[in-house]
Amino acid sequence: MCTSFVEHGALAFGLDERGATALTLAVEEIFSYLCRISSPDRGVTIRSSSRRYYNLVEISCPVKDFDMRLFNLTARVSAEDETALEQMGLLIASRFVDRLNVTQGPDNGILLSLVKEKSYPEADQIMTMHPKEVSRFSLIRPQPELLKIITTAVKALYPPYLFPKAFLYPGKVVDMVEGGEYEALAATGPDGSVGGALLWHWVSEKTVECFGPYLFGQAKGSAISGELMEACIGAIAKSPALGLVSLLPTDELPREHFEDLGTLTLFDEKGNGTALTAYFRQMHEDPGAYSWCHPELEPFLRSQYGRLAMPREILFVRDLGETKSPFSVLSVNIERSGNKATIRPVRSGKDMQENLIGHLSLLKKESLKNVFFVMDLGIPWQTEFTHPLLQSGFSPRVVVPYGGEGDQVIFQLGA
Amino acid sequence: MHAPQLDRLVPEYIKRFEPYIPSKPDNELKKLYGCKRLLRLNNNENPLGPPPAARDVIDGFPPPAASVYPSGDAYYLRYKLAEKFGLHPDQFLVGNGANEVITFVIKAFCQEGDNIVTADKTFAVYEWVAEFSGFDARLVPLKDFGFDDAGMLRTIDNRTKLIFVCNPNNPTGTYWSREKLLRFLDVVDGRQIVVLDEAYFEFVEKEDFPDGMALMESYPNLVVFRTFSKMYALAGLRIGYLAGSREVVDIIRRTCVVYSVNSLAQQAALATLEDGEHITRTRRMVREGRNFLERELGRLELSFVSGEGNYLMLRLPMSDTLAYRKFMTRGIMIRSMTGFRFPNYIRITISHMEAMEAFIEALEAILAEMPDRRP
Repeated sequence: MCTSFVEHGALAFGLDERGATALTLAVEEIFSYLCRISSPDRGVTIRSSSRRYYNLVEISCPVKDFDMRLFNLTARVSAEDETALEQMGLLIASRFVDRLNVTQGPDNGILLSLVKEKSYPEADQIMTMHPKEVSRFSLIRPQPELLKIITTAVKALYPPYLFPKAFLYPGKVVDMVEGGEYEALAATGPDGSVGGALLWHWVSEKTVECFGPYLFGQAKGSAISGELMEACIGAIAKSPALGLVSLLPTDELPREHFEDLGTLTLFDEKGNGTALTAYFRQMHEDPGAYSWCHPELEPFLRSQYGRLAMPREILFVRDLGETKSPFSVLSVNIERSGNKATIRPVRSGKDMQENLIGHLSLLKKESLKNVFFVMDLGIPWQTEFTHPLLQSGFSPRVVVPYGGEGDQVIFQLGA
Repeated sequence: MHAPQLDRLVPEYIKRFEPYIPSKPDNELKKLYGCKRLLRLNNNENPLGPPPAARDVIDGFPPPAASVYPSGDAYYLRYKLAEKFGLHPDQFLVGNGANEVITFVIKAFCQEGDNIVTADKTFAVYEWVAEFSGFDARLVPLKDFGFDDAGMLRTIDNRTKLIFVCNPNNPTGTYWSREKLLRFLDVVDGRQIVVLDEAYFEFVEKEDFPDGMALMESYPNLVVFRTFSKMYALAGLRIGYLAGSREVVDIIRRTCVVYSVNSLAQQAALATLEDGEHITRTRRMVREGRNFLERELGRLELSFVSGEGNYLMLRLPMSDTLAYRKFMTRGIMIRSMTGFRFPNYIRITISHMEAMEAFIEALEAILAEMPDRRP
């Protein structure tokens, strides 16, 4: 019944047969595992919903001893170990879906969120718009067909490191905008021609990330960029957003609206590096905050906070012999089109160094040139990864104020 | 005990609403930003403080009087205001700052599906109160930094109950002349309540500036807001008021929270109305400060919007929120304008000359740190 519910739901919500089967298998494996480890009197709740471009299945269950280690990219199961074989289902499940998150669920249990995205065709190489200069323009929220033209144009005119992977699939961007996940603005001339566009989305409760501005056939210094940017800022000015970031800044990004957070270097397949400045704009007057810090990160943090005039109290995390979990967990987001992997800590543990090395070795095999690690300074235990990161060849590059629970530090491997 | 089911309990319009987080107390800010002094140029306060008669009231307030409830409807103050403006005492309602009387008016006239009309870049409280009360706030873009009368008239529909006009506008300092206001009121013709926020009325010296108090007889749909926070420097005591026709005020009174204005505020406010010199002194200080700032900003080649009121808005070649932090490290508190939808603008309270000189000095130092402005 469980698999039939998920499969029918997935097909009804627009996943193709392959996607629906993958999601169903993932749910089946997790459901079976939870049934084995949970007591019979405790139910497992499964909810399925559509978010336009993906199907979300949420599984909640009141179990306490859930081995999240299996969600490490490096997890392997020994065929000799019977308990481990029982857990193999979880490992399989994590590879069948696009995203899998484990969070605290109701009644102190767990909540597993499985995301399977719809399949979309890639953008045509042929542009369906002939860029031309617009002297007079107005800003509009682009309709789906215009949005498809815009994303196709961005792909044709800008290098892949200046737009998100989703832009390769215009239909997906349309669904993201229609579903409220992305917002888009376009500058159009009196005849309807598009002079430029800007898109943005919420990356966390406090931070909005923008992409662009992208200009099509406009002379240098066109007023379109500034108008798009001010409209975006105006749109989020009275929202909960504390910060607006641009991590893939085009040349047209009006620098006067932003602060320079530092640079990240993006390497192509041949190893040629392009330095990309990370830009930030604070949306409110800064009320001050504290940042958890490992002593080895302190000099970097103090220099960045000093340079940015950020009012921060630094609190140190120290190991005073308390019992630690033996195993750490990391999540990895891989973007092959950008040759990029971003690691985020899910849980700290005594094996942080080994786990990190294991992940790096796997990513190396995948020939990914750009490896980042994002640490949230609002979550004390995350800073325990500082020493293993520095030992593994990462260096702190950028502080994103209020990027997570607190400020975020982006580390880059070998740059 | 189960956690409250907030998802079910909280109305959608409250879920969407972002609470306003006020600044931390000055001492906390000084610690955070590592500065020894703090010049407050962010809230349009009057650095001269309350008029002498009000100071005497504050100094002489007997502690035992704190145990007695205040007049629930600011009885003596309303009579004094009536005498001053030649109106009836029942034409006034006194509130805990002008913010409270904004709430009274919106509650009195709006119900589900109704809307208010105001400008997109003006005092934010009209928009906030409407939205967290579940009503639509229709925001008309400013035109040349001023309220766009034609645009507002076009935006009105049959569910529009209130039109808010901030005159002079905070933060741009622009204003509607008497002629323009009368034309607008004639077109509205009683279909909506027009609220004229005159929080900065006492600062304006222009001859064509309208006095809302003098228009109520001809326009019974007009409601005027005034405050004791700005010119009279009683911001810390929270007291403001509205005036309108008796019929309209009688409706608003039904939503009014009585006893919300404390005794000291009522007595100090009453005393301010005796003093004429205070306004003259304050206006002179603002005039000198404005002349100085305009001259210095011109020298620094920065564009600014300088109109009426005790404030001035200027555009920086950098993010205003970054500028806020940089000014704070130098002990100067300015208002960043992103929240007013004026990105890269800051608003400065026009204060005494020492503060204005300190501001310009800090501004020059901050600009000099910018890579493309270094000599």
